[in-house]
Amino acid sequence: MMITFEQVTKRYGERLALDSVSWGMDEGECVVFLGPSGSGKTTLLRLITHETSPSAGIVTVGTFRGSRLSRARRALLRRTLGIVYEDFRLLTDRSVFENVALAVRIAGLHADVDVTPRVEVALDEVGLSRLSAALPSELSFGEKQRAAIARAIVNRPAVVLADEPTGALEPRSAHEVLALLGRIHHEGSALLVATTREEVADAPPVAVEPQAARPGPDAPSSATAPVA
Amino acid sequence: MFAFYAREAWRSFHQHRGLATTGVLALTAALTLSGVFLLLAHNAEIALRLIGDRRELVAYLRDDVTSADRDTLIARLNDLYGTVTYVSKDQAWEEFKQEIGNDPLLEGVNENPLPASLRVKLRPELLNAAAMDEAAKQVKEFPEVEDVRYGAEWVQRLDELSGAIGRAAVGVGAVVGLAILFILYNTIRLSVMARRPQVEIMSRLGAADRFIATPFVLEAVAQALFASLLALGALFALQQAVASRLAAIVFFSPLWIAGFLGATVALAWFAASLALSRVLRAVGP
Repeated sequence: MMITFEQVTKRYGERLALDSVSWGMDEGECVVFLGPSGSGKTTLLRLITHETSPSAGIVTVGTFRGSRLSRARRALLRRTLGIVYEDFRLLTDRSVFENVALAVRIAGLHADVDVTPRVEVALDEVGLSRLSAALPSELSFGEKQRAAIARAIVNRPAVVLADEPTGALEPRSAHEVLALLGRIHHEGSALLVATTREEVADAPPVAVEPQAARPGPDAPSSATAPVA
Repeated sequence: MFAFYAREAWRSFHQHRGLATTGVLALTAALTLSGVFLLLAHNAEIALRLIGDRRELVAYLRDDVTSADRDTLIARLNDLYGTVTYVSKDQAWEEFKQEIGNDPLLEGVNENPLPASLRVKLRPELLNAAAMDEAAKQVKEFPEVEDVRYGAEWVQRLDELSGAIGRAAVGVGAVVGLAILFILYNTIRLSVMARRPQVEIMSRLGAADRFIATPFVLEAVAQALFASLLALGALFALQQAVASRLAAIVFFSPLWIAGFLGATVALAWFAASLALSRVLRAVGP
């Protein structure tokens, strides 16, 4: 299993976000968490990236197991993931190219001379080559999301996490982004999407099959299936 | 990778140039103030060294010492304490007459009452009150020696003055060091907090603390280096003005300049590392 949740509970004070969720995801799988706002989807992704710790239970991501990793281990874990945030989280003072290149430099796996070719390939994949010099403020929402996806895939992570990837997009851009994510998955990356939109869950040809062993009242709905 | 870190440091400096400039100016002021004191201490040290070099121990010989015994004694003292110069009775009398001048009273002296002596220019490690006192006691034990003088009181005072200047330098250095730490710590902290969104994004992308911190540390070191050079320039102008109008003071030697720059850079590195280790934990998971 690439990602495993064992009886994971998360509380924010009195509020229960996840209640004893057990769940797993294998390499190359595509999983869509579908649920209304506040159902714990983002919490689940944040548990995977160790932006928050479970109140109980164990989260395992690859070889990273446990609820409290050291700062160094946490950084290492995040470098193995590609993360697409709902609000893009692009650095506003840098061009699209520099935003994507930053992820390559953070990974620290490639020599300086290899950074530019890798970024160019990633930007080409998401169709942003002509906007590589643009600042995020000069992009549409759809273009920002594609830039965020380029940053997430530039290091060829084994799994890409996408939190509400079409949340801020109009239908045409949303369709393009979903097609892009589908292609990334098709090329071998596992894909984990959290969304409130049913059309996102329906976009990849997936068979909906609840996975949570004992989802609590606010636990996410989940679906899993390979993308054809 | 260093070029990347340097570009990031420049980007941070450029984006928060108001904050960075304030930091540099505050550092320059602190370093210039400490530099004035260091300049005084440096010149005092040079003056004391010149005076100290003149410290010597005088062993007065008995009148019945043979030239063979005297030569043996000179060889021993040369080995043990430093360079020995023999002053005969006649030489001592001539020196005395020159110091006194043509005093008519000297004409009434029939016989030279002054003893021959050995003047010992002590080795550098013996140029302090305790070592000189010990050396004087040992030399006095030689049978050929009648008495030993070395100006115990003023040697003691010279040592006390030298010690006081040293302690004051350490005290001022500590105060200025803390001021530099405080200025840099807060400048870097504010700089990181001003870029908090960027730092958070880097952290979420998996950037190690060192990756995030290095540009800020470089920025702090560059600020400190720039402020040091400004302070040295101001101090040089001050030294030139004083040297041409008031007193012949000298500027820092290259070794002191290197020490000044090195100490400032080391403090900057330490302050920035300290600030970042605390601030990065506060920035978020």
